[in-house]
Amino acid sequence: MKEKNRRIVAFYLMISPWFLVFLVFGLFPMLYGLYLSFTNYYGFNMNKLKWVGLHQYKTLLTDSDAVHAMGRTLYLTALNVPLSTIIGLGLALLLNRRIRGAGIYRTVFYLPSIVPVVSSVLMWKFMFSSSNGILNSILEFLHIPAVNWMGYDYARLSLLIMLLWGAGGGVLVNLAGLKGIPRDLYEAAAIDGAAPFQSLRRITLPLMTPIIFFNVVLGIIGSLQIYLQPIMLTPGGRLMDRPIDPNYLYVVHAFQQIFSFQRFAYGMALLWVMFIVILVLALLVFRTSKYWVYYETEQEG
Amino acid sequence: MRKLASLVAISAMLAVTLSACGSDNNDSSGNTSAGNSDAKANTSTNTSTNTSNSSSGNNAAADNKADSGSNAAAADPGEVVTIRTSITEGELSKDQIAEFEAAHPNIKVEIDNVDATKLAAELATGDAPDIIRISGAFEVSNYVIKGLALDLTPYIDSSTVINKDDLVPIADVFRFDGKTIGQGPIYGLPKDWSNDFALFYNKKVFDAAGVEVPDASKPLTWPEVMDLAKKLTKKEGGKVTQYGLAATEWGLTEPNFNQMLQYLLSSGASISSADNATMDFNQPAVKDYINMWTDAVKSNVGPNSVNNDQTNGGTLFLDDKAGLLIDGYWYSGVIRGNEKAKAHLDDFGMLPTPIAPGGTRVAPTGGATGGIIYSGSKHPKEAWTFFEWFFGGKPADDRAKTGWGLPIFKSKMGLLPQETNFDKQTYGVLQDELNYSSQYLQVNPYLGGGGWAIFSKYVTPIFFGKSTVDDAVAGMTKDANVAVTEAKSAIGQ
Repeated sequence: MKEKNRRIVAFYLMISPWFLVFLVFGLFPMLYGLYLSFTNYYGFNMNKLKWVGLHQYKTLLTDSDAVHAMGRTLYLTALNVPLSTIIGLGLALLLNRRIRGAGIYRTVFYLPSIVPVVSSVLMWKFMFSSSNGILNSILEFLHIPAVNWMGYDYARLSLLIMLLWGAGGGVLVNLAGLKGIPRDLYEAAAIDGAAPFQSLRRITLPLMTPIIFFNVVLGIIGSLQIYLQPIMLTPGGRLMDRPIDPNYLYVVHAFQQIFSFQRFAYGMALLWVMFIVILVLALLVFRTSKYWVYYETEQEG
Repeated sequence: MRKLASLVAISAMLAVTLSACGSDNNDSSGNTSAGNSDAKANTSTNTSTNTSNSSSGNNAAADNKADSGSNAAAADPGEVVTIRTSITEGELSKDQIAEFEAAHPNIKVEIDNVDATKLAAELATGDAPDIIRISGAFEVSNYVIKGLALDLTPYIDSSTVINKDDLVPIADVFRFDGKTIGQGPIYGLPKDWSNDFALFYNKKVFDAAGVEVPDASKPLTWPEVMDLAKKLTKKEGGKVTQYGLAATEWGLTEPNFNQMLQYLLSSGASISSADNATMDFNQPAVKDYINMWTDAVKSNVGPNSVNNDQTNGGTLFLDDKAGLLIDGYWYSGVIRGNEKAKAHLDDFGMLPTPIAPGGTRVAPTGGATGGIIYSGSKHPKEAWTFFEWFFGGKPADDRAKTGWGLPIFKSKMGLLPQETNFDKQTYGVLQDELNYSSQYLQVNPYLGGGGWAIFSKYVTPIFFGKSTVDDAVAGMTKDANVAVTEAKSAIGQ
């Protein structure tokens, strides 16, 4: 066996535990879902599936919800990803300073990421409530008219506020990145008379771009897949309750189609379209990365 | 080349993320369908908690008699078979199972905790529980058209435990002939049921508003209920101090699909064609119902999505902050068990199920959770033995005594609580209601649990002034027909 082939074999042998699990529990179910999206699977007719070709994908285009829901989801992502990235980075910069009790602050800001989604949403629900809700009490105190946080005009904002509350989750990664920036760079800059803002712009930000890039990609994927928060925010709060239109996101729609209507095949088609959208967006971000992401070591990929 | 490799790696990573999301969906679905397709899911849970307490009583004689009859039917008495059921642990206690197994050494009973996805997977692979727990009012016809329910008529005909003539009419909600609910073969029986669209009142709230409690001997119309609710709603300085109405014990005071079906049943309207192949929501009764409720929401008769009060109806009702609650007899069990309500039990009572204006009196069930035997069961006879015992034997007596739901046997009605004034009041109203409980909600078997989602999708925007009733009924009609057509094609019709 050639040296090269031997290396390849060794490589696959070494990753085989992960690779096998991925094949069986990752790739196979996915492809099976893809197959089902071309059938009329309805949850019980597994034995007499009919191949319907692209029917489900055509239905998607005439569905009164799917396209709108996708639009809403992209809009929310366009707001959520930049904001949470900026907030995450800003918090990390603040927490990276040597101040008394920095550890406590770090814990406090990371805490929302540890709290289970369900309980944090329930908490927010009471914050947003109009009867004895905390937000409206604050508004009242400031003599600002109370608003219906869960109504048509504010529901999206409420959801966004709740999502940004969890933006501290990125702090950990950001802090790690900040700690990785060599101190001598700052010292050299200080000797050359650089103001703090200049160091931030010329040293910190460029060296943080790989981390920012990572956060952006994961943020896009995460935002597009949001489904539990809007459902839980809905009054009643049972999993099949329909969120108010501004918060009726794409995955919520897929979820409803599958579990309210047993449209399993159609739900699979919806999710596969979502997958392709995520893939395309991720590729776009990757494409742009060479213009703004700075790696200290030479990247070959 | 390397670039390509990294792309592949990235997409693989995304794939894992996506499929992880998929499994999230699965985990949570259980609560979902229980909560949704059957508005009375809480009923059964509540019912269950109590049933289990009282299960280990005596009454073994009746029980044994039941067994000897059905044991004869079992094929091979020497062989021990295991049957599985999705009846929940709360409804079927370990003690009860032990009792059953002791009397039937050849049968082992296993509880299969399913949620919607697990059940779907089990049905797909032909491995569903032998006795499947479903909602009588909303799911039976759907299971029948899919060929998943075993015809139990011959078993019931020859049963010594279940006397067909002793069944109350509501038990027929498990009959379906392909077109009409209540007719044709018997596919199962309810565990218990309630007149789920009746009203409960809290006299404290009535007194605070200076309003008389209506006469319980005749039903109000729904518009009269709304007017009453408006009178009961009190505000102080822009803040509501007490509401008139709570539509459900768990949610907001807004209309829902299930309650609309009761209104339509009373007004004699049907949104489904006779063969259930098409649906049409564009009907005066549907529009009247939505308009009536839109007005009620505007008048803040209860917590709704516009006034954004997140307190649930049951809490308000028991805390003397809502005058009326739409719920069935089973809710009397909640009132009896609630510490706050117990202290002034005489202030509570039941009113008959309201009717549509000019409509006929109906008091249908909106739940009637019960069981069917899976058509693919490998041990139908043993499954029947258990079925007969659980639905007709001692567990049925135990359930009736708690008052958390109504028995399906006329002979067991007397077991309901009749001690306190509250017991007597509810029991009295109930006797009247029983005369009007022989009609069934007209559930389209092809729509499954989808009606709920479609209805709320188009009705909520109306409350916010974002849509009109005409647009809503047009939208509902379109969505419902898509769902029905697809379901029919999947079934091969």
